[in-house]
Amino acid sequence: MVKGNGAIRYYPGCSLESSAREMGESFMEVARMLGLEMLPLEDWSCCGSTPAHSTHPRWALLLAARNLLLAEEQGAEELMVMCPSCYVRLRQAEREILEHQDKAREVEQALGRPYQGKVRLRFFLEVLDKIGLEGLRGLVKKPLHGLKAALYYGCLLSRPEWITGFDVAPYERFLEDLVRTLGAEVVPWPYAKQCCGASLAVTKPETSDRLVDRIRDYATRAKANCLVVFCSLCQMNLEMRGKDSPALPVLYITELLALAAGSAKAEQWLGKHLVDPRPLLKSLEAQKGA
Amino acid sequence: MQVDPAFREEVQRRSGRRFDACFQCLTCAGGCPVVEDMDYHPTQVVRLVEFGQKEKVLKSRAIWMCVGCHACVSQCPNKVHIPALMDTLREMALENGVEPPEGRIAGFHKMFLEEVRKRGRVYELGLGVKYKLRSGTVFQDFMAGIRLIWKGRFKLLPEKVKGISELRELMGGGNGKG
Repeated sequence: MVKGNGAIRYYPGCSLESSAREMGESFMEVARMLGLEMLPLEDWSCCGSTPAHSTHPRWALLLAARNLLLAEEQGAEELMVMCPSCYVRLRQAEREILEHQDKAREVEQALGRPYQGKVRLRFFLEVLDKIGLEGLRGLVKKPLHGLKAALYYGCLLSRPEWITGFDVAPYERFLEDLVRTLGAEVVPWPYAKQCCGASLAVTKPETSDRLVDRIRDYATRAKANCLVVFCSLCQMNLEMRGKDSPALPVLYITELLALAAGSAKAEQWLGKHLVDPRPLLKSLEAQKGA
Repeated sequence: MQVDPAFREEVQRRSGRRFDACFQCLTCAGGCPVVEDMDYHPTQVVRLVEFGQKEKVLKSRAIWMCVGCHACVSQCPNKVHIPALMDTLREMALENGVEPPEGRIAGFHKMFLEEVRKRGRVYELGLGVKYKLRSGTVFQDFMAGIRLIWKGRFKLLPEKVKGISELRELMGGGNGKG
């Protein structure tokens, strides 16, 4: 994907320019700094997300398959996805089509053309991993000393590869090293892979409150001063839900990268957080100055 | 107790999975983040399916509470795919006209998919407002919602995909009970 001069084709998903725009904007900023050209999949549509697979498995297959077909038709060898949920939906559809002939036929009948399986799906962490620690280290201009990060992987990223198509386990060391490379500290804690309640935050807020309280409580006890996340829904839930635990800034890994790179654009999205991370970042600056 | 062996067969066929490897070790229930809100814990759902207890299972709260985090199947010594089971059971419950005991969860899924059918993408702000009005929870999180809008966390205008007719066609197929 990073090879040659080709742009990276990516699947935005419904939240990247809306509720997760901090993630989208910070990733695009980092990509710009690395000299990567990003190109959205043209006419992409929703992957179906939880509602489709929860109630209409056929739609889950077909909605995801439409995007795979578009990527193939647009000549993308690889398709990068930022949202873990979109990524898992696309991977599941890919697997169903490639492993089950009846599913491949179903897709061909419904969408009028077969999927050949030429597109390699890539989660955005794979793209960062490919650039590597050394390449990313080159970006660091303002190390994030004093930031104590609890890395929160959430549910979908951290389940075995045979279930979801991606497992964060092989990348954990890289991510911890990356956060340290950016000047922050990684705190060890036990709740990195516990579910935040996902869409129940909308429909059963009290359930999500309970789960988020437990997560934030453990992060606080581990002496973290922020949570670092990889998923838009995790980000929003950890900021918005929870009642009895102290609020913590919740930053995307891409925001950390852009901040350490001294991006002037960071201000544009930092203010969009419900738990404003700027006081924490300013206090770190002040400590440095002292 | 009415045993319906055909139910067990149907669940197996539709999900493409077998559930008879479960030996009730309760690992899934121990790791489930929402088990406290379930009427039957995941192991019991598996057992009820195996015993052909169609009505109990399809009317249960448990199948709607499952959030699909996959903690259960990740830890299961026999790789019993409970999330896939839950997907199948929810679809069957809707097909059988069961009134979901967690109406807001089922309602949210439905509204979300209406959004997809309408535009091909989810317009988060519109979906949020629609859900709040229809579920009668306007005042819950009202201030948080205002803050999110104020801070520019939502795209203000919806987008529609060009291939919307293709999308609508494919969503009109299947069981069509959107």
